[in-house]
Amino acid sequence: MLRFLVRRTLGAVVILLFISAFTFFLFFAIPHDPALLSCGKNCTPDNLKTIHHNLGLDHPVPVQYYLFMVRIFTGHHFAAGNCPAPCFGYSFANSEPVWPTLIDRLPTTLSLALGSMVVFLLFGLGTGMLAAWRRGSAVDKVLSSASLVLSSMQIYFVGPLVLALLVYNNHILDQPKYVPLTQNPVHWFSGLIIPWCVLSILFTANYTRMARSTMIEQLQEEHVRTARAKGMSGAYVFFRYAWRGSLIPIVTILGIDLGSLLGGAMITEWTFQLTGLGRLAIDSVTKTDLPMLMGVMLFSSAMIVLFNILVDAVYAFIDPRIRLS
Amino acid sequence: MTSSTETTLAGPPGEPGQIADSGTAAPAELAGRSPGQLMWQRFKRDRTGVISAYVVGFFFLVGIFAPVISKLYGKDPYTLYGTNEPGLLNDFGYPIAPNGGMSSRFWFGIEPNLGRDVFMQLVYGIRTSLSIAVAVTLAVTATAIVMGVTAGYVGGKTDYFIGRVTDLLMALPAQLFFVAVMPVVTAVFVSPVDETPTYLRVVALISVQWFLGWMGLARLLRGQVLSLREREFIEAARVTGASSWRIVRRELLPNLVTPILVQSTLMLPAFVTAEAGLSFLGVGLIEPTPDWGRMFARGAEVYQNDLTYMFFPGIAMVVFIVAFNLLGDSVRDAFDPKAAR
Repeated sequence: MLRFLVRRTLGAVVILLFISAFTFFLFFAIPHDPALLSCGKNCTPDNLKTIHHNLGLDHPVPVQYYLFMVRIFTGHHFAAGNCPAPCFGYSFANSEPVWPTLIDRLPTTLSLALGSMVVFLLFGLGTGMLAAWRRGSAVDKVLSSASLVLSSMQIYFVGPLVLALLVYNNHILDQPKYVPLTQNPVHWFSGLIIPWCVLSILFTANYTRMARSTMIEQLQEEHVRTARAKGMSGAYVFFRYAWRGSLIPIVTILGIDLGSLLGGAMITEWTFQLTGLGRLAIDSVTKTDLPMLMGVMLFSSAMIVLFNILVDAVYAFIDPRIRLS
Repeated sequence: MTSSTETTLAGPPGEPGQIADSGTAAPAELAGRSPGQLMWQRFKRDRTGVISAYVVGFFFLVGIFAPVISKLYGKDPYTLYGTNEPGLLNDFGYPIAPNGGMSSRFWFGIEPNLGRDVFMQLVYGIRTSLSIAVAVTLAVTATAIVMGVTAGYVGGKTDYFIGRVTDLLMALPAQLFFVAVMPVVTAVFVSPVDETPTYLRVVALISVQWFLGWMGLARLLRGQVLSLREREFIEAARVTGASSWRIVRRELLPNLVTPILVQSTLMLPAFVTAEAGLSFLGVGLIEPTPDWGRMFARGAEVYQNDLTYMFFPGIAMVVFIVAFNLLGDSVRDAFDPKAAR
């Protein structure tokens, strides 16, 4: 287990290094001068030069990248202010260090991702298992076609529709907003319930389909048949034996989905005006705030890579026959 | 040479019974049919598949014949009808007639503020979005074939290298990457001070999605090639002195037609929604080019007062995506009746 973790972590570090280099060079391939943005209206060539120097833009790009990477671990004193140890640079646009801003936005994205995970797992696995349980029946057909139609709904269409129907016209639910869980759990819940449900629409169908097909597969396994033959009740076999075998494919896609959700759900955050990481990325694009964008990109990639490792580690717990390393 | 195709589609060689029980289309008399014919017959029997094919075809026809529709309907997506004619929009810029200004003249209503015709915007928006999605699908499929077949067939260091590149690109957050890189790609071609021409935006949209789109199919094809490479008919071709190029073209590719066609059918709707998502976030196509996705961006601005504006684009998109997904499933079933549903 330890060897596995060490090896995978090293692999992840290599991938992240490549990603950071790739994105760094990509962003600084822009012919557009980022210093011009911080310079403002009365920009003199002298001013521009100082800003260039302060932002480190007067170095060649490879040196800039090297400094960027080193400063992540050492921190750096910029002219605009201090940037302590995990220093991902200093925002061009609002003169704030990147890392604290990311941490500041993280709870919103985290709440959104975890909450919608609960919703889509409950509904997805529930309907999928129900469909497998009553395979071929009317229930199965209705659930399968409903999930197909739902998965074709787009957030940018359903989101405003739900808001108009439930919030603005009928005032059934609160307008979506993020209130920290520690501050007021009730408002946290009522503010996020619409985004959770709308975001999980996209995912639920995947889990329904996956749960249904793996459960059907599992129910034909020999150990399940043996259990039935011994006289165990259908429901008992279903929930005790068959269910376990369908966990692996579900954990696999759950890892992928969570990894990408934690990097920010841009369309959802944009639709519901939630200020999470995805919203931060869009705002940074419009402001050409490259360090901030770079920070969000690295953070999201790290999440994806991290969850890949987690999934592989979880396999070993679910199925002891899978040997790590 | 095409016999290899037949074996994969109709069942492994030496099991003629497979043909009879897999294909409903091949009855006992066992007439000689090409795999393509078998597939077509199976497809025709699938009622859902045929209906969804008609729906999908309808959308493509609407896209292709948008100028004709515009002529017949007598309006275009650019004219500001509401601003030009008094009595269509109220003082706040919203349509006066009920339901977003729907009437026999403006079938799907008129756009708030600018007063353009929603029906025409949708028709031309479908045209734009589908063209982009088709271009992305073609580019992605071509790249995936080249990458996947090369990695699988050449093997060794090439395979390793392509595999690592695939890993790297798969670890990139795709949507975030699109949003972040769109301005960069356009900035490569045009200085930020100048206005970006529309065709450059289209090129940027296509290349960005292409760049992160090919890995899944490439990986799938690599796996297929790896197993095909060891089969007897490839070995036989190699022994008779066929060049690698000939083996790839005449032996491997015909056997890859099924996964390529099935995967690209499933891919296209995903590209339509991705492109629409980008336009929704404001990094896709901009005014005045009509675009399906931007209608949602506009709709999100006005939905509190005029929900009907985004109603038709939304319903059209749901219908399109559902039909396309059903079509993809049917194509898969027709090609590969053994695949579990």
